[in-house]
Formats: sequence, C-alpha cells, structure tokens
Amino acid sequence: MINYILRRLVTAVALLVAVSAVTFLIFFAIPKAAGADPAQMYVGKSATPRDVEATRVKLGLDQPIYIQYGRFLKGIVAGRDYNNGPSVTHCSAPCFGYSFRTDREVWPLLIDRLPVTVSLALGAAVIWLLFGVAGGVISALRRGSIADRTAMIIALAGVSLPIYFTGLVAQQLFVHTWNIFEGGEYVNFKDDPAGWANKLFLAWVTLALLFAAQYTRLTRAQMLETMSEDYVRTARAKGLKERVVVGKHAMRSVLTPIVTIFGLDLGGLLGGAILTESVFSLPGIGRLSIDAVNVKDLPIILGVTLFGAFFIVIANLLVDLLYAVIDPRVRLS
Amino acid sequence: MRMRTGALVAGSAAIALVLSACGSGGDDKKPSTGESTAGVTGFNAATKGVVNPSDKKGGTLKLVNHSDADSWDPVRAYYAWVWNFQKGYYVRTLLTNASKPGEDGLKLEPDLAEKLPEITDGGKTYTFKLKAGVKFEDGSPITSKDIKYGIERVFAQDILSGGPTYIVDVLDQDQKYPGPYKDTDPDKLGLKSIQTPDDTTIVFKLKEPLSDFNYLLAMPGAGPVQKAKDTGDKYGDKPVSTGPYKFQSFDPGKKLTLVRNENWDPKTDTIRKALPDQIDLTIGTAVEEIDNQLLAGDVDIDTAQTGVQQGAQPKILLEADKKANADTPTTGFIRYFSINTKVPPFDNIHCRKAVQYATDKVTMQTARGGADAGGDIAVNMLPPNIAGHDPALDPYNTKSGKPQIDKAKEELAACGKKDGFDTVIATRNAGKEPKTAEALQAALKNVGINARLDPTDASLYFRSTIGAPSNTHAKGYGLMMAGWGADFPTGYGFLSILVDGRTISQSGNNNYAELNNSEVNSLIDKAKAETDPKKAADIWGQINKVVMDEAVMVPFVYDKALNYRNPRLTNVFVTEYYGMYDFASLGVTK
Amino acid sequence: MTMGPVTSKSDEQVPSVEEATSTPPGVPAKAIEGRSLGQIAWTRLKRDKVALTGASVIVFLVLVAIFAPVINKFLGHPINEFHQDKINPSLGGIPEPGTWGGISKDFLLGVQPVTGRDMFSQIIYGARVSLLVALSATVVAVILGVVLGITAGYFGGFVDSAVSRLMDLILAFPYLLFSIALISVVPVTTAWRIGVVVGVISFFSWPYIGRIVRGQTLSLREREFVEAARSVGAGPTRILFRELLPNLVAPILVYSTLVIPTNIVFEASLSFLGVGVLPPTPSWGRLLSDAVNYYTYDPVYMFVPGLAIFIMVLAFNLFGDGLRDALDPKANR
Repeated sequence: MINYILRRLVTAVALLVAVSAVTFLIFFAIPKAAGADPAQMYVGKSATPRDVEATRVKLGLDQPIYIQYGRFLKGIVAGRDYNNGPSVTHCSAPCFGYSFRTDREVWPLLIDRLPVTVSLALGAAVIWLLFGVAGGVISALRRGSIADRTAMIIALAGVSLPIYFTGLVAQQLFVHTWNIFEGGEYVNFKDDPAGWANKLFLAWVTLALLFAAQYTRLTRAQMLETMSEDYVRTARAKGLKERVVVGKHAMRSVLTPIVTIFGLDLGGLLGGAILTESVFSLPGIGRLSIDAVNVKDLPIILGVTLFGAFFIVIANLLVDLLYAVIDPRVRLS
Repeated sequence: MRMRTGALVAGSAAIALVLSACGSGGDDKKPSTGESTAGVTGFNAATKGVVNPSDKKGGTLKLVNHSDADSWDPVRAYYAWVWNFQKGYYVRTLLTNASKPGEDGLKLEPDLAEKLPEITDGGKTYTFKLKAGVKFEDGSPITSKDIKYGIERVFAQDILSGGPTYIVDVLDQDQKYPGPYKDTDPDKLGLKSIQTPDDTTIVFKLKEPLSDFNYLLAMPGAGPVQKAKDTGDKYGDKPVSTGPYKFQSFDPGKKLTLVRNENWDPKTDTIRKALPDQIDLTIGTAVEEIDNQLLAGDVDIDTAQTGVQQGAQPKILLEADKKANADTPTTGFIRYFSINTKVPPFDNIHCRKAVQYATDKVTMQTARGGADAGGDIAVNMLPPNIAGHDPALDPYNTKSGKPQIDKAKEELAACGKKDGFDTVIATRNAGKEPKTAEALQAALKNVGINARLDPTDASLYFRSTIGAPSNTHAKGYGLMMAGWGADFPTGYGFLSILVDGRTISQSGNNNYAELNNSEVNSLIDKAKAETDPKKAADIWGQINKVVMDEAVMVPFVYDKALNYRNPRLTNVFVTEYYGMYDFASLGVTK
Repeated sequence: MTMGPVTSKSDEQVPSVEEATSTPPGVPAKAIEGRSLGQIAWTRLKRDKVALTGASVIVFLVLVAIFAPVINKFLGHPINEFHQDKINPSLGGIPEPGTWGGISKDFLLGVQPVTGRDMFSQIIYGARVSLLVALSATVVAVILGVVLGITAGYFGGFVDSAVSRLMDLILAFPYLLFSIALISVVPVTTAWRIGVVVGVISFFSWPYIGRIVRGQTLSLREREFVEAARSVGAGPTRILFRELLPNLVAPILVYSTLVIPTNIVFEASLSFLGVGVLPPTPSWGRLLSDAVNYYTYDPVYMFVPGLAIFIMVLAFNLFGDGLRDALDPKANR
C-alpha cells in the first residue's frame, strides 16, 4: 500500500512539474516565437528603448527560457532573492515570483483569494449534493413515473444552461427586480456572516443547479443499476423493509461513484470558478486569473494555472487512494 | 455661462433640476473663481464652476475604483487618476497644477517652490528656491537634495519601471546615469545636471531650451523622496507623504485609507483644501457595481473618471434628478485613426483624403458612447484643453460628422482608384474599439473601400502592433485606430510625439502614419524653444494645420466621460489639467 | 454503468466525470454488439419522443445555419448593416426605453446596442459560428481520441503509457483558465482565430474520448474475434480499423453526440470571456457578454442569445441522451 501511495505521489508531482513546464513554455515562448517582445508589454507608453531594455533585465526576460524556468522551479522549492533597488528582498518558498505589473508576490495573492473561491465551492457543493442525490434517488425509485420523466428533463435542461445566462437572470430577478438579495461586494465570513451568505447565496444556487442536474442523473442511473443487483434482491427477499434496503444496502454502492465525482468536481472548482466569479463579481481565484490574463501578467497566470492543476491532481490522487483502500486489485494494476 | 445662483443649497433635487435646464448650453469657459461662495448646480455644472463651495472640514471621503493604481510610487505611476490622487493628497512637487476650474486649472503654481523658477542662460538653467517649513510626514524638512534624489529615482528604470521618462531624456545628457541604486556617489546624488548648492536651492541645467520643462517637474515622479526611507520597488506600498494626507493602511487591490498628515502645514500650501479627515479608496469593485453604488449615494466618486458604464447611462440621462449630479468633461483624450503613408495606396494623398471624407464620424461617435458620454466630434488633432486648439480648423468640413460620399469619390478618382481598393484596419480587440472600427469599416464600404478588420490584443497594440513600422508594413495596416491623451497639457506634450518625423522608431513608435514633413519638424523645434506660451500655442496651431492638410490622421472624437458625483460632495469641479474632478479640493457634508 | 461522461460542462466541473480518474472497480467496460444493434437502436429511438424532439430541433438549427443567408434575405437585414436610427446614441446606444430591445416587425429580435445591427441576423449567423466551431472541434477531438485511444489500448506497453500520461497531463490543466490564457497570447488575426478556438477546444476534449476508446479497446483486444483475425495473419492496421473500430462505433457515436453540446458551451464561454471568435464575426457568447452592460435596463439582450444557447445545447443533450439509451441494451427505460 505504501508503495502504491508513493508511486502515486511521484506521478502527481511529475504531473505538476509537467504542467508548469508546458505553461511556462507556452507563455514565455509563444509570444517570442510570434515576433512579439514580451518586455514591450510592461513598459509605459513613452518608454525609450533603454527603458524597455531595463525592464527586460528587471523581469529576467533577457535570460534563456530554461534558465528562467529553472529559477522559477527553484523559487517554489527554495525561495528566491530579488533586487528591489536599495536592498534585496527574499521571497520565501513557495515563491511563485512577483507580478510583472504590480511587483507583488504571487503566492500571498493566491492565498488571499482562496477563501472566496472556497466559500463559493463549498456552499454550492452542499446544495448540489443534497438536491442532486435526493432527486436522483427519488427519481429512480419512481422510475417511469411522470415525476421521474419531468425530473430527468429538468435535469437535462439544468446541464444545458450556461452559468453566465442563469447568473444574469438570477441577478436581474432577485437583486434588481425583487430586491430579495443585496448586490454589492463580497464580504468576509468573519466580518459579517449574514452579509457573506447574502452575497453568495445566488451564486451558490446558480452554480449548484448546474451540478445538481448532473448528480441527479448520475444518482438515478447508479440507483437503477444497483437496485437490480443480486444482493439487493437478496436483501428484499430476506424481508427487509424497503427503507432499509435502499438506505443501507443500495445507497452504499450508489454513493461510491458519487463521492469520486464529487471529489473531482470540487478539485476543479477550487482552482477558480472563472465564469461564476466573473458573473457574480466575486474576488476569488477565477477573477484573479481573468484579470491577470487581461493584463498579461505572466507570473500570476502561471501561478493560477499551477494552483488549479494542483487541486485537480490532488483530487485525483485522493480519489485513487480511496479506491485503493476499498479495492486491493487497484494497487496491483 | 457663469452661474451665480445665490445661496442655493445644492444637492436639493428639485432646485438642481430647474437649474440644469438653464445651466447647460453655455460654452463660455470663464471659470467661476475658487473663492466664490455661490457655486453652480446642475448637469455639467462642475465643468463650468465649483459645485457646493465650502470650507467645512471633516468627514470621510469615500472613493472607489475597479482597479488598483498602476503603482502608488510616484515615480512608477502613469494613470492620470493616480497622478490626480497623488498630487492632491500625498505628493508635493516644486510646481503643481492650480486647483481651479476652467482654463486657470491648466496653469502651474509654485508648490514646494517659493515662486516660479528663475530661468537664465537662454532658457537652459532653471533655479528654484524652496519654501520654508515644508516637511515629510515624519517631520523632517524637505530639502533640495530630497527633490534631486526623487528625480534620480526616475533613472532607475531597471527597478522602478512603468512611469514616464521624459525627465530622463532631458536630464541624462549622455551621462548614462544609472539611477541612485547603482550610483557610485556616496550620497547617491551623482546626477550632474541637477545641482543643490544649499538645502533650499535646486538648479536644473538643460542642454537646450525647453519651454515646457516646468510641466515635467510638475509630474508626481519629480516629487521629493528621502534616501533613508526609499524602499525601492516596495516604495509604492507605503510612500512617504509630503501632502495633507498620509497612508494609514493599504491592502493591495482592496482598500487604501489615508488620514491627515500632521506635519503638513496648510500655511505652506495654497493649492490643496484638505477638507475631509479621512479618505477611503475601495478597490476592486466591479464596474457595474460601482455605478449602482454611485447612484445610490453609497460612494462619492469613481476615481477612474472614465465615465459610467453604458448600462448606467440611461439611468442618469433619463432621470432629471440624477442627471443634475452628472458631468461630461472633456478628458483631454482624442480618438483618431492614422493613415499609413507607407502602405499603398495611402502613399497618395488623394487616397488619404478620400478616407477623410468617407469617414462617418457620427456612427463612430455613437460607438464611443454618443455625444454625452462619448465626446464631441473632432475636426482636428489638438483637443480643447490644449493651448492652440482652434475649433474652426476643419479642412475637410467634418463638423457635422456626416460622410461626404461625392467628395470622397472625387478624391478616389484623383488617386487613380475610382472603384475603390482593399486595405486593413488595425484595432484593439477590447472595449469600445472593435465596434468603432466596425463603424469605420461600414462607412468606407460605401465608397468602395473594402477594409478588413484586424483586431489584436490590447497589451501590445500600441508598442508592437502599430508601434512597429516593420509590422504595419508587413501586415498592410492602412488604417490604425488610436487614442491619445497628453501627459501635460501643451502642444509639445500632446502633438510632438505623434507627428515629429525624427522620432519614428522601430518599436514603441507613436507616429503611426510615419509622417516625416520637414515643415512640421522645424516648426516643432521652434515651438519647443519658444518661451512665450501664447506664441508657442500659435506655432502648435500651425503644426496642427499642416498635419491636417497632409491628411495622415483622422480625428473623430474629443473624448468626454459621463461621470457621476455624489450630491453630498462639496467643492466639486473639473480640473482641465486631468479632465476629471479635482481630487485635492473635494470635501463632504454630513 | 449507464451514465455517460459529461453532458455539458457549462461551468468549471471537470468534464467527463468518472473517466477523469481510473474507472471505478466493479464497473466492467462494456462492449456493444454491432450487428443487429443498429436496428434495435433505431426502433428504440423512434419511440423516444423526447430524443426525437431534440433531433428535430437540431435539424432545424442546422438548416437555419446552412441557409442563414437565404433566411436573412427575407427576415433580416445584411449582417453588418448599421441602423443608427434605431438606437439612441445619448442613452449609451440602446433603443428607446420600452421597446424591448427595439423589437418590431422589421427587426424580429430587436437591434444590437450601439451599432443598431439586426439581432435576428446576428443570431442566425451566430448559429453558424456556434455549430461550425463545435462540430469541427468535435470531429477533430473524435479523430484524435479514437486514433490515440485505440492505438494505446491495442498496443499497450510504452505506447499506452505515453498516450495515457499525455491524457493525464491535459486533464490536469484547469482547462477554461488555460484556454483563455492560451488564446490571448497566440497572436492571430480574424482569419485563423476560429481555427485557434477550434484547436483549443478539441485539444481539451479529445482525452475524454481517448480514455473511453482506450478502455473499450483494452477489453476488446483479448476477445475471440480479434484473436481469430490475428491468427489468420491480419496486420495491426487491419485489426485496429477493420476489426476493432466497427465494434467501437456505438460508444464513439454516443460520446461524440454528448461532446457537441459541451463544445457549444465551451465556445460560448470563450466568447463570453472575450477570447472567442473575433468581431465582427457574430457569436452568441459575445452577445451575452454585451448584455452584461444592458440587462438591468433591457433584459431582452440577455434572453435572446441566452435562450439561443440553451435551446441548441438542450437539443443536443436530449438527442444524445436518447441515443445512448437506444444504443445501450441494458438501458433502463
């Protein structure tokens, strides 16, 4: 088992290094290959060639790309020193470098935005899990009924709605027309819990709608398959109450894949819910990344990409390990 | 029209409504003076005089902005609103633009200096005496050496990039001065072109006369910095104040709070009113949300001052009581497109003139936001806030903005392209730009010019896409959408970089049309050396005329911005220096 | 196991839920018999009214897209024709208040803000762009996924691990963020921006198909008919494409149908975030992002493109869902 965990850990780290290398290559090499001079992006409008050169040196863009990448990797592991003019600043590990635009350290920026994204993702997750799983179970137990058909069509409609459409509609109705929720800026949970929930509620529901629909469909399918399994039949034959059969025997196997997907979905969301955050103007990781892309702030783009990849890879790792615990065959394959 | 409306309490919606009806329409730019106790009210009142004049101190001024400053370090800032903010609250320089409405606001007044400089040696030596009693926020006096050190920081572009570098061009004089951090001088004061004979005297030695030099010294980057307090590229996190307010707390990208600087002596400062006790700047609010908060009265102004979003325009313009709290100042920006003289068939002046006539400026104005929020139709290349501007200079008769198809076809025939031709329009791919370019494309099609749009990313647009002649030739960019605002409001600050044929460079070029006209070039030299501002303005007027006759640039809008001011604000007026509310003067009631 | 992969990744969830990780245990990859299946499926599909509704909407939309110029001639206005008289420049360029986005019998869906262009033309030409991008991206993704997946699955060993690691790597990227950032650094002109968008979308969707095809191939390659072909001396190419591929048609068909709506939403999301096809090429996503400016004032701008996206995505989802049920003998009806 330890062997397996180690092997998976190594793979996960290797994946992250590969992601960083690809990202680095793309953002530092493509503009160059296309004939654009990256340093030109970071100088004022009246900059002279001398200023451009100075900026190039300052940002390290004068170095070959592998050296830049090496420095970047070293920064994450061991930290880096930066010349700030009169003295030297130490950027301690994990150092994702400094923003090309504002000279701020990238890592604290990411950490600073994380609570917003976590608030959004967890809140929505609770809602979609509750409604998705419940809806799926009920739908499966009343298979073929009108309720089932309707639920399935609603679920299909739910997954077909882009969040930037539902998000706008929700805001138009609940904020601007009926004034049920306040618009306005995100507030921290610890400053004002009610305001925090008020501001996030619509975003939670909108995001959850999208996922709930998928979870409903998934749960229903799993449930139907499980209910036709032999052991469920056996349980029924033993004369167990239907509630016990469903709740105790069937649910266990239904929930396993759900938990899997839940882990992966949550991992994906924690890396930044770009669309939701931009529609509801939440200052999370997703917004940070969009803003960085708009001003071509490469260190931040790099940082956010790695951050997102980190959550995805970790989620995959955890899910795999979970399976390894449940099913020994996985370890051997 | 000068408004003297008696002792009205502004902010009262009903009264403001009545006044807005008579308050707009006049175009007499005579300012009502700062000491007037009456003030003006209504739509666009702050562009003509002072709204809610008051000397009442106290309260918290609540400012908001979608984005953080490019830097709070005065040397590294380039956004106009950041300059307005720095100069109004925490950065004093030798000279500063006067806090006055109207044209008076374009003038410079002594700030740290006792009086305007003594200019000797045929305009090549500028000598300033510092006021007594001026101090940094820690109480230490501001000396000439601090000012020199501050200016030297501009040279350290390898650390402190981003801000304007005019002062380097003028003062380096082949010294290759590397900035104070690499200075071998023990006091880090090795720049030879600035001398500090004593703590209150500073002397600037230029190589050749430059009548606009004072304007370079009025930029925040020329403010004093203490060597001991210089934290290099971290300085923007807590700059040391010389003005009436200092940084109390700063949470990057979120919030900046300024409180009174006890070591600022109002007796030494004739420019700043310093009315509020505290200034809060909330950063990061979504643009639509900013408009909602403004209209609800939750915040006082948006410091970006680039106008409300298009969705909020009807809410303001259709409701009289809201409209009375709005202004549409000209921002000093001009929207134009350049015609590339090196890309056929635009090497032929008649083809360029055909475009001048075919352009539908009204549609382009609409794409920019219409007459109120977009701007006035532009007819020549000097905007209204620049001395030398002449609204009558309109060689292609485009005041109405309507295309003149017949004239355009005549010119096409003269160019030998009776049936039109194909070309490419370069444009940025964000904001109002694509729609504006589409409007141009549609208009040109009417005379047979088939223009293909080539939208590219905004971040490299000016420096590499259209700022590199080799690229414009290779891509065949005949027409290039552009916008321009001056860093200081003179003809030199505005026009020279756009039309001087000797400044065409391989990247970061601003003379997109690649106009190299010997008459223009020699007039520029004449204007630069001219010490009488009136005469200099006349020369810039001539340059403007030659440029327009060459038909290399088609101006279409003098930018305006529909800005909203909270009715609780006092002392609100637009400073023409920045084309936005004068932050230094704002106060609040309640 | 009857649940497919994603039906829509309207937001940030990792597409392809279960396939994103190792297949849950106890879920044998399933081979679908080819021969009589077509007929069975067709009979089933014919009975599925919901799927048929989806199919007819798809056919309708495809026809609209193909005949957009003809339809536009009768019902719309030239796509790039400005109608400045339909808007009020001093109100930010929107039509007079109370006109529902300028809807009239001349302008069936109103006019676009600022330019006054006919919204109807924008929508029907937008359908073209949407379908063109989504379908081409799907075709590219399916080809890549099938070729690489089948190769990896059949040959195993080094080829398999190389392809699998590549798929892991791509799936580890926060795809939406990465796509935005990538498109924004690739310096392109209108002409091949569509190509870049198609490229990016297919790049991020092929691994889902690749994993499924690989898994199916793995289970098929030990089957008797493959052994038989091998024993009579058939070369790998023949076995891959003549023996294995026909047996994979059903799952490939199902997953392709379900990837299309995902790609439609992907394209719209990119346009919504400002990195899709370039103006003046019309795009539903961009129409929606324009609406962000105006929706509190006139909700028509949000509903017209929003519903267009919704209807198209829903139609594909309904049809894809029905197709899967029809092709899956174990489907629970």
